[in-house]
Amino acid sequence: MAEKKSSIIASLWRDYSYVVVFLIIFAIFAATSSGLTVNATMNILRHSAVIGIIAIGMGMVCLTAEIDLSVGSMLAMVSGMSVVVFNASDSIVLTLIFALAFGALCGAVNGVLVGIAKMPSFIVTLATMLIYRSFAQYICQHIDKDLAGGGSSVYRMIPKHDAFASLFAFGNTKFLTLPIVGIVLVLTTLLFVYILEQTKYGKKIYATGSSSKGAFMAGINVSVIKTSVFVLTGVLVGLASFLWIAMNASSDPATTGKGYEMYAIAAVVLGGISMAGGKGRCLGILFGALSYTVIDKIIIALKMDSLINDAVKGIILIAVILIQITGPQIKQKCSKLFNKR
Amino acid sequence: MPLLSMHQISKAFNGVTVLDQVELEVERGEVHALLGENGAGKSTLMNILTGTIPLDSGSIEFDGRPLVRPTIRKTEELGIAFVHQELNLFNDLKVFENIFICKELSGFLGHLKKKEMISRCEELFSRLGVEIDPTALVADLKPSDKQLLEISKALFFKARLLILDEPTTALNTEEVEHLFSIVGGLKAQGISFIFISHKMPEIFAYSDRYTVFRNGRFIASGKIADTSPEEVTSLMVGHNAALTSMYQPRELGEVVLKADHVSGPGFHDVSFELRRGEIVGMTGLQGCGSSEFLQSLFGAAERTEGTVSVHGTNLAPSSIHAAMQAGVGFLPANRKENSVIPDQNILENMYISEHTLSALHFHIHNKEELARYHKFHELLNIKAASEKLPVTSLSGGNQQKIFIARWLNTKAQVLLFDNPTQGIDVGAKDEIYRLILKLASEGQSIVVNTLEIPELMKVADRCLVFCDGTIASHLSHDEIEEHKIMLYSTGALKQKGSEDWVNVNLKSANVNHSRSAADNSIDQEKEAFHG
Repeated sequence: MAEKKSSIIASLWRDYSYVVVFLIIFAIFAATSSGLTVNATMNILRHSAVIGIIAIGMGMVCLTAEIDLSVGSMLAMVSGMSVVVFNASDSIVLTLIFALAFGALCGAVNGVLVGIAKMPSFIVTLATMLIYRSFAQYICQHIDKDLAGGGSSVYRMIPKHDAFASLFAFGNTKFLTLPIVGIVLVLTTLLFVYILEQTKYGKKIYATGSSSKGAFMAGINVSVIKTSVFVLTGVLVGLASFLWIAMNASSDPATTGKGYEMYAIAAVVLGGISMAGGKGRCLGILFGALSYTVIDKIIIALKMDSLINDAVKGIILIAVILIQITGPQIKQKCSKLFNKR
Repeated sequence: MPLLSMHQISKAFNGVTVLDQVELEVERGEVHALLGENGAGKSTLMNILTGTIPLDSGSIEFDGRPLVRPTIRKTEELGIAFVHQELNLFNDLKVFENIFICKELSGFLGHLKKKEMISRCEELFSRLGVEIDPTALVADLKPSDKQLLEISKALFFKARLLILDEPTTALNTEEVEHLFSIVGGLKAQGISFIFISHKMPEIFAYSDRYTVFRNGRFIASGKIADTSPEEVTSLMVGHNAALTSMYQPRELGEVVLKADHVSGPGFHDVSFELRRGEIVGMTGLQGCGSSEFLQSLFGAAERTEGTVSVHGTNLAPSSIHAAMQAGVGFLPANRKENSVIPDQNILENMYISEHTLSALHFHIHNKEELARYHKFHELLNIKAASEKLPVTSLSGGNQQKIFIARWLNTKAQVLLFDNPTQGIDVGAKDEIYRLILKLASEGQSIVVNTLEIPELMKVADRCLVFCDGTIASHLSHDEIEEHKIMLYSTGALKQKGSEDWVNVNLKSANVNHSRSAADNSIDQEKEAFHG
C-alpha cells in the first residue's frame, strides 16, 4: 500500500514537476513579500506574458529536437518595425497584422534554412540572432525620425496618434482584476495545448522530435514539420512584440529581448520539455515562465541587488534538472541496497 | 601440427545453444574458408577465438600451446587479429596514425616521433607490396586500401593468424584480386587466414581448405580442390526438416502493383507485377539491392529510372506521400530505428501514418480512434494491456503488429515488408507469417523481403532472387528451396534454365554485391560483348 502511494507521488512528480516547482517558488514569494496582494499576484501574469508566449514557440522547436536562438533579436526587430508601422498608419489592426506577418517571415527564414536546407538550427539561429538585432539597431538610426517616433536610438510610438490611447490601454489595463496581456498569454497557452495534444499536426511535431527517421518512414514530411514550427515560433514572437509595444509604447533595439532566448529555453526545460525532442507538455512552459517571473519578484521583495537575478535563476534550473536526472538513479541504488538486506 | 585447433567448442546464450561441440583446424600458411549460413555460428566462434566472448566448454590450442580462457589482450599478443567487416579505422586520422594508434612512438618528453613512425610504415608497406601513402587521410582511401591498411596494421604487430570477415563486400573485382595477391604472398611467409565469405567464386579461387558449420554444428571439413560449389552449398543448407504446412494457394486477382524496368542506387532494371491477394517473396545476400528496391517502391529511396504504377496510376518517384495515397504501406527493416516512435504510446504509433493522410482534418476524435484501435487489437491479436502504454514496452512481435495496424489503418492495399521478423523470437515469427497469410487471403497484396529462406517457403506464392542489384531468378512456390536460392544469390548459378556451373573465374563472375548500378551496367555491357 505504502509502495503504491509513493509511486503515485513519483508519477505526479514526473508528470507535473513544473507545477511543484512553481508552487514552491510561489510559496517563498508569499513568505518574503510582506502581505501578498491580489494585485501583485496578477502582476506575475502580466510580466510573464512576453517571455511566456515566446517560450511556447521555443517549446515547439525543442519538441522537434531543434533550437531557436534568434527569438530575442527577433522580438527587438519585429517590435521596432511594428512601432514604425503604427506611427505610419495609426491603426491597431494593421500593426497587429504586420507584427504577426513579419514575425512569420523572420521565422520562415530560420525554418527554410533548417527544415529544407537541412542546416543545423544552432548555427542558423545564431546567425539570424546577430542579423535581426543588427537590423533593428541600424534601421532605428537611419530611418526617418518621424517614423521612429523622434527618439534617437529608441523606437517610440507617437502619443498624439488617435489609436495610441487604446493600444496603450490594451497593454496596461485589467479586466476583472486580470491584466489583459495575461489573459492573452493564458489563451495562447490553451490554444497551443490543444494544438499539441489534440490535433494531428501536434502529434506529428512530437513524432518528428522523437525519431526523425521513424517519422519519415511513417510518411511524415519531416522538412515541412520543422519549417512550420519555426514559422509558428515567428508568429508567436510577432504576437509577443505586439504585447511589448502595447505595454511599453516603445522598443529599444539594443536591449529589447536581450537574453530572452536563454530565458525561454530555461522556461521550456523547467516546464519539463526535453531538449532532445519528443517529450514534454505545453502546459509546463506556462509554469516554467511564471516561475522565472516570480524569482524576479522575490529578489525585489528581499531588496537584493537585481544583478543577482540570473545567478538565482541558473541555480534553480540546475537544481531542478539535477533532481530530475539523479532522482531515479538514487532511488534505484537505494532500492538495491534494501533488497540486499 | 596445425597452427590453430579448436576442439569441442560449445557456447550457449541464455540457454540457447549457439555452438555445439564444433571443431576448427587451421594449418600454417593457408587460407581457410569458414562457411555457413547466417546464424550458423561462424562469428560466435571467431569472437571466442579472439577472446571477446568467453567459451562454455572445449579447448583451444594455438601454435602447440593450449590457450586457456582467451582474452583480447592474450590473443593479440599471440598474433591473432580480427579484421572486421565494419572497419575499425579512424577516418579523420592519417594512415600512420591509425597504424600506431595507442602504440605511438614518442620521445622522452612525450613528443611524437612522426618521422620514425612514417618511415616504419613505408618499410612495412614496401615489404607487403601495398601502395598507400602513410601521410594520407584514411577517409580519402579507397575501400580496398582501407581493407589492406587493416591487414597491414595487424601484420605490423606480428599477427600470425588473420580473420577476414567478409573482406570483399566493398571491393570490386580488381581490388579483390589485388587483396588476394598480397594474401598469397603472406601465405608463403607462413601466415594463416580464416576467410569468412558468402561468395562461392572467391572462396573457390582463393582458399586452400574449408570448414562448414550449420546451426551451430560442425558439418564437414576438407580441401577446396576436392569439392565443388554445389557440394559445399548443400552442406551449408542441409536437408531441412519438414516445414509447417502453413502455406495454402490462394486465388489471385488483378494486377495491383506494376514495376517496370526500375533502377536506382543499389539496384537496376527490376520489373515485376503484384496481384491482388498475392504474396511475393524477395531474397538475396546482404546488399543485393532487394531492400533498396523495396524502399524505392515506397518512395523512401531514390528511383532514377523506370515506372511504378498502382492500380494503373503512375507513382511520382521519391515521394512517400504519393505511394501512401495510392495505398502502399511499408514496414522497413530495423524496426527500432525506422518504425518505432519511442516517446509515443501505442495508439499514437498506430495512428501516425493515418494522421499524415488526413492532415487537413485537424482535430483528433479520441472515441473513433479508440474504436478502431480495439478492432485492430482483436484482428491482429495484439497483446497489450492498454493503448496508452509506451510502444517500447511491447515485445518485438507485438510492436510489429502495431506497425502492420499502422498501415491497415491507412487502408493500404499493398504492404511491403522488409525483413519483418528481425529481432523477433521464433514463436512470434510464425504468428507474423500467419498474419501475413491471413491478410493476403483477405485481399491484401504483399511483398516480403527476407534473408531467411525457410520463411519464404511458408508464405510466398513465388520468389524473386536478387543478385548484384537485379533479379537473378524467378521461382514459383514449389521451386523455392534453400539450395537453389543460395546458388542464384551467390552468383554460382545464373539465369533460370541454364543449369551450367559458371566457370570459377572472378573476371566473369559477378562477385561484388554492393557496387553502384553504374558499375553493374558496365559489367552487363562487357558480358553482352563477350556473348
